[in-house]
Amino acid sequence: ESLESCGHIRISAPVVHLGDPITASCSISPNCSHLNQEPQILWQLEDGPKQLGDRQQRLPQGIQESTITLPHLNHTQAFLFCFVQLGNSFQVLDQAELQAGYPPAKPSNLSCLMNLTTSSLICQWEPGPETYLPTNFTLKSFRSRADCQRWEDPVLDCVPEDGQSYCSIPRKHLLLYQNMVIWVQAENVLGTSESLRLCLDPMDVVKLEPPTLWALDFSPDVVPPQPGCLWLRWEPWKPSQFMDQECELRYQAQFSGTSWTQVPHLPSRGHRFELCGLHQALVYTLQMRCIRSLLPGHWSSWSPSLQL
Amino acid sequence: PLPLPKSFLLKSLEQVRKIQAKDEVLLEQLCATYKLCHPEELALLGHSLGIPQAPLSSCSSQALQLRSCLRQLHSGLLLYKGLLQALAGISPELALTLDMLQLDVTNFATTIWQQMENLGVAPAVQPTQNTMPTFASAFQRRAGGVLATSHLQDFLGMAYRALRHFAQ
Repeated sequence: ESLESCGHIRISAPVVHLGDPITASCSISPNCSHLNQEPQILWQLEDGPKQLGDRQQRLPQGIQESTITLPHLNHTQAFLFCFVQLGNSFQVLDQAELQAGYPPAKPSNLSCLMNLTTSSLICQWEPGPETYLPTNFTLKSFRSRADCQRWEDPVLDCVPEDGQSYCSIPRKHLLLYQNMVIWVQAENVLGTSESLRLCLDPMDVVKLEPPTLWALDFSPDVVPPQPGCLWLRWEPWKPSQFMDQECELRYQAQFSGTSWTQVPHLPSRGHRFELCGLHQALVYTLQMRCIRSLLPGHWSSWSPSLQL
Repeated sequence: PLPLPKSFLLKSLEQVRKIQAKDEVLLEQLCATYKLCHPEELALLGHSLGIPQAPLSSCSSQALQLRSCLRQLHSGLLLYKGLLQALAGISPELALTLDMLQLDVTNFATTIWQQMENLGVAPAVQPTQNTMPTFASAFQRRAGGVLATSHLQDFLGMAYRALRHFAQ
């Protein structure tokens, strides 16, 4: 019988909370011929010193067993060795892998945006402090009615790629214009936790892209603007054109250090908008953004600047 | 008359516009890909293929009745959902547009159905799917696609007018 199978380590739990105690026992079978009757069992954590166990005893059938309790396991991962002295050398009988970490904290700051280009709902969250253990995150959701008190069909779990804190629910799993309940579940060997729940209609969290803003070119059929005025036109972002939107314009004289002047409540499409009150000698920076009107929605970012 | 919540009307109007836009894209793709650009020239074929058109008589301004208009709207959406399903496999290029259109039509049908339930005017059992036409050739499937998509556009136009009327 080979020496290694002479001894065997058992541990109280393969994974413990970081800093918690862990108890291990190493037992040597009596028919291990190479050893004398009362072999001295020693322990070693990682590359620390060899040490005696808390207690070594002879069990029925002649089994020798040493037990040790490590009061605070502060390694997130460590090897525990069981040795026996053979002549003037120490022989490893067995090795156990110890792991320690934390149960997952509640994922926080869960938010979702509907991407109209890919028609998918992308949710992101903050995973919380490091757990030092393999931890799985799952975006869970249910279709619902009205204010999400009553849940209906479950939606397929969305599992993010390793290490990522966002997940994309594809269009075919979404029921647009109806509320759904969404939350994140985090799980590892030490426990499970869940984020707060969101109740949202994907179409109420559309990520709107800014409109396209142009200056109207002078042409025979376009009356040139009065002094101190500009002709502008704009169009909403194409994938969102089915949505009623309201827009706002802001402009600022370049290098003037003056704050932006804002023109609110503009329609989503402007064919010919005359902007006046400008100084003729100055160059102006203009930007525009839009938001869904009459229904919930987020402002788009400001459009790229137009210099005129 | 039964009150329709403003959010339902606003969302429904937006859903109609969303479907109309996608339906228009499908029509353009069918025209560009197969040069089938005039649905009116396919009326005879449509008749022989049995391509159905969903009635919206209770949604017309002359005879507007909320309860049966919602029912016709819901049944019509189920009909077009079925027609779009029958077109599956028409071509890889159109598959994505067709899938998205079908999902939008299905979701709009759910919006209508849930509002009917909220108003207590939903039939006890959801209407079942009509029998769908079968296509004997790729051409018939394409022509059926143009007709179904065109009929859906007309249907959505009437639905939009009715919803606008309810919203006033």
